Amino acid sequence: MSRLELYSPEGLRVDGRRWNELRRFDCKINTHPAFDGSSYVEQGNSKVICMVRGPMEPPMRSQVNQTQAVIEMNLNIASFSTLQRRKRSKNDKRMIEMKTTLERTFEQSVMSHLYPRTLIEVNVQVLAQDGAVLATMTNAITLALIDAGVAMYDYVSAVSVGIHDQTPLLDLNVLEENDMSCLTIGVVGKSEKLAMLLLEDKMPLDKLENALAVAIAGGHRIRDLMDDEVRSHGNQRVSKLTS
Amino acid sequence: MVEKRKLASGLTTIQKTFVRSRNGGCMKIVREHYLRSDIPCYSQACNHCITNLKPDAQGNLPLLVLLDLPLKLKNGGQHYVVVDTNVVLQAIDLLENTECFYDVVVPQIVLEEVKNRSFPIYQRLRALVKAADKRFVVFHNEFHEETYITREKDESINDRNDRAVNRCAQWYNEHLAKYSSTKNPIKVILVCNDRNNRKRAIAEGIDARSLEDYIESLPNGDMLRDLIPTENESFEKNAAEIAYPEYYSTSRTMAGIKNGTLYQGVFNTSTYNILEGSVLTPAFKKPLLIVGTKNLNRAFNGDLVIVELLPKDKWREPSTTILEESSIGANDNADDNSQEDLVSDKERRMLALEAVKATIHQGEKKLQPTARVVSITRRSWRFYVGQIASSSVDNETSNASQTCFVILMDKVLPKIRIKTRKAKELLGQRIVVSVDAWPSNSKYPQGHFVRSLGAIETEGAEREALLIEHDVEYRPFSKAVLDCLPKEGENWKVPENLDNGDEQLKKRVDLRDKLVCSIDPPNCQDIDDALHAKPLPNGHYEVGVHIADVTHFVKPNTALDSEGASRGTSVYLVDKRIDMLPMLLGTNLCSLNPYVERFAFSVIWELDENAEIVDVKFMKSIIKSREAFSYEQAQLRIEDGSQNDELTQSIRILLKLSKKLKQKRMDAGALNLSSPEVKVHMDSETSDPGEVEVKKLLETNSLVEEFMLLANISVARKIYDAYPQTAMLRRHAAPPSTNFEALNEILRVRKPGMSISIESSKALADSLDRCVDPNDEYFNTLIRIMSTRCMMAAEYFSSSSYGYPDFRHYGLAVDIYTHFTSPIRRYCDVVAHRQLAGAIGYEMLDSQHRDKHKMELIVRNINKRHRNAQFAGRASIEYYVGQVMKNNESTQEGYVMKSFNNGIVVLVPKFGVEGMIKLEMLGDANSAAYDEEKYELSFTDFKGVSRTVGIFDKVQVAVKSVQDEVSGKRKVQLVLV
Repeated sequence: MSRLELYSPEGLRVDGRRWNELRRFDCKINTHPAFDGSSYVEQGNSKVICMVRGPMEPPMRSQVNQTQAVIEMNLNIASFSTLQRRKRSKNDKRMIEMKTTLERTFEQSVMSHLYPRTLIEVNVQVLAQDGAVLATMTNAITLALIDAGVAMYDYVSAVSVGIHDQTPLLDLNVLEENDMSCLTIGVVGKSEKLAMLLLEDKMPLDKLENALAVAIAGGHRIRDLMDDEVRSHGNQRVSKLTS
Repeated sequence: MVEKRKLASGLTTIQKTFVRSRNGGCMKIVREHYLRSDIPCYSQACNHCITNLKPDAQGNLPLLVLLDLPLKLKNGGQHYVVVDTNVVLQAIDLLENTECFYDVVVPQIVLEEVKNRSFPIYQRLRALVKAADKRFVVFHNEFHEETYITREKDESINDRNDRAVNRCAQWYNEHLAKYSSTKNPIKVILVCNDRNNRKRAIAEGIDARSLEDYIESLPNGDMLRDLIPTENESFEKNAAEIAYPEYYSTSRTMAGIKNGTLYQGVFNTSTYNILEGSVLTPAFKKPLLIVGTKNLNRAFNGDLVIVELLPKDKWREPSTTILEESSIGANDNADDNSQEDLVSDKERRMLALEAVKATIHQGEKKLQPTARVVSITRRSWRFYVGQIASSSVDNETSNASQTCFVILMDKVLPKIRIKTRKAKELLGQRIVVSVDAWPSNSKYPQGHFVRSLGAIETEGAEREALLIEHDVEYRPFSKAVLDCLPKEGENWKVPENLDNGDEQLKKRVDLRDKLVCSIDPPNCQDIDDALHAKPLPNGHYEVGVHIADVTHFVKPNTALDSEGASRGTSVYLVDKRIDMLPMLLGTNLCSLNPYVERFAFSVIWELDENAEIVDVKFMKSIIKSREAFSYEQAQLRIEDGSQNDELTQSIRILLKLSKKLKQKRMDAGALNLSSPEVKVHMDSETSDPGEVEVKKLLETNSLVEEFMLLANISVARKIYDAYPQTAMLRRHAAPPSTNFEALNEILRVRKPGMSISIESSKALADSLDRCVDPNDEYFNTLIRIMSTRCMMAAEYFSSSSYGYPDFRHYGLAVDIYTHFTSPIRRYCDVVAHRQLAGAIGYEMLDSQHRDKHKMELIVRNINKRHRNAQFAGRASIEYYVGQVMKNNESTQEGYVMKSFNNGIVVLVPKFGVEGMIKLEMLGDANSAAYDEEKYELSFTDFKGVSRTVGIFDKVQVAVKSVQDEVSGKRKVQLVLV
């Protein structure tokens, strides 16, 4: 068993945070102007780039849906993103699972009925992994879709939470993630609605409610941070237009 | 390259970068590290930190632990102490001492270094912090904005950490000077044993002292001086030559283990010969023999060692000689370290004898591979109890410190050299010592004095010694634990209104109308089981076993629960009981006392006329016991024909069914093994031990036992069904055939026609029944006692550790078993209760009992505790039997159980004592001859008569009580008459 003191009796975690504190959250939008929408998100040392093309006419007829837009997710995890170099193929089971989870999340968050017979292509590139990769990807996709001007119901802000003994811990880094069961949720805007919930191992039912409450509060905080970035970027563009 | 960034939430983040190599390659690891300003200093004198406290997830604020009026030095200075890593590692005993070290700040970096160096010491330090009565705090200096320091170029990691500790002490000084609410700010003293670091700290204006200087400056320093652990140099006297072989380097041993030339295993000293030990390694079926001081190479009993095989010409059979520490090296001078010779003459003689024997006998089959210790992976060092050897104390020297030997109570350990000023005072006292080191140029390990328990042979001292020797936690329960008890205390009652909105209370079944009674040993205070029975209209019987509902009071994840888990079991000594749970629960709230209502966990069966189970139900319940019987009382009541009330009738039903259950069990092959159990009667007035009696068994004993077994089996099935991965069970493995080889061989020679077969427990039971000597009634019991010693020990386990066929309980001949019926005194039962409560949907099972790893830890601990408790109980009986013999010396019948070439082991059934009689006590040592084939020792006794004794012989022995001069242990001595 790991002898790491993941949560000290004094209430501090391995990296010096308290139980309900997020890691450093940095985001930028419109990082790749060649695409319709793009973003770069850092959650702690997890780093993700997302680039969105569309809504556009699908290159293949098979992708056409008469009633709504089709969202296509392309995930790419860099082989240097983990401690030991490891190449992940696109057909890796975990990758497929993450891809499906993300597709389902955004199919219901994007107002896809506004864009019938179009394709929205989302490319996600993971540069570094330090826990909560799925949450970081979700946040990056949200920002890139907003940058692309795709209509959404609200922000989808994702965060992970784990249970250590009795204490819920918010936003796990990789050391913590390896040692406890963790839950990733995507919160819709400032509501308590969830667009995504992924639990890969067991979590005691009696602790779940508590963990969810902590995670939702964390999600709201991330939404605010993303909102700040979107607004400041918007203001910047407006000021360029007017001057 | 450090980049600092301030975050909106008030945190600063930096990146910690380090390189780690693994399997030859190297990796660059980058981790985030957050610095914060809201870490409190934990001082009550500070009026700043109290405004800046952050609650944890349960909403509790951290407590300010450090007093605003801390201890004073000799010169009156109030101070807090900051400790350095080397002090913690060397002097953890001193930190735990209640005479000094209050208000101590442990910097986080020190805690981490301690953890990396020694995990047990880390745990003791953490326990100190948690207990809070010594006011220790951990200050997370690495996460504090003002105390975090970055490593400089070309600075070693140790220097950086030293600097961090200094910075931490400095910060405390500044912080307390700035925010102190008291007039004179409290000073901070850095206690550090590293001379260079101390110099640097003093240059920075910190009051840094060595451990010795610090203790000296305390008002009670004189008293504590002896407790300072020895540093290696203090014994040095230019010991020029190296006596023991040096240990191999880690890399060499690792490589050796990998390529299979070295082996790792736990070292066990032979019980009869301290110059011989064995190591059981997975690579060999038989244990490797290690013989002689040089080959043992400073290994202690219980150490995890690495050994190397010796060439085949050095292989030999285990010696048949008894050898105790006292007999060799008794004349060694404690001060004299540069002894010319490691191997004493006496040891040489023993070796020569062996060599002669080895050349005569070419008994290939008994030859055992030998090995030598080349490295020690983990020391088993703990506190040891012993006494100062009077021969090593110089009575002339006044008060200067002198070196002397401490002889330990544990016979298989060498004596320990300590340095003390109080040698004269400590003579004749039981003392606790701790071992510090065993350098290769010292014949004996070096240690230091910890505390005195009192004079030898006083009851208190002997009891405490016994508890320490068996690692039993006997201190009173801490406040945190007692706070978990119900607030009503003794006045707690079963709520009158069962419909008071408590969901769990509603699930309890009201069984107060059942005629429940309990049957226990006389004067039993912790009644954890009660029974009832009644005939059903369909001719079947309803039988209920009601067990104290301990888990209603002991909730998981409380201080009470973790204390119970770490104690694991109650320990029963002759004159005292060391409880697993506080008295209030054990003897009152949980105990199913008569005439009062109590919560219980009930198992209710429907049994048919043949005691077959028709149906079984489990429920939490409320019961009211009608009567608490002792075994005798119950027996009398059953036999008394004039008593025909319902309660008596129901006991008779129980008795009838229990006999059937027992018969069925015996038919299935349950064993009826024997161990000489005795009871010591205490004089009620003076509490002096009066007489010894072998325990009697009544029918009612087995009545209770049968139903408890039945309950345990039923519960085991239920919880295994509900939690196939983590059910708490108990198994008893079949004994490996090799265990019985020696006994069968002896039987073949000594009692032709008798043998023990071990194909199954049934075969074993039957063959034991056949081992009857018509001339000697006791012979069968003797064989049973000897067989018991060949059996494996039963053990607790969690169901994921073994496959279902291995769950079998060999002794009871059932396929699955657990302990459920004594939750007041065993922790296994507490876990079983929780799991059963989860299985019947009464409450959610706590996650720790659903986690394989956590269950594994619990199981390992309770197995160890259970074993220790048994040993402690036996040792206590042994001590008291010795006391009883003091007044009643007599001649008794005894049986020879073992024979050696220089002694025999005799068991006296009347007192249940076993003792060794050495050749010197038997008669003329030179005339003796040992016939190994026949297990016979022949010798000429002191009267000049030649005699021969062999195993199983009945002999007359004089039983005396003597005090061992060397170890101060009183024990029974037997002399052949």
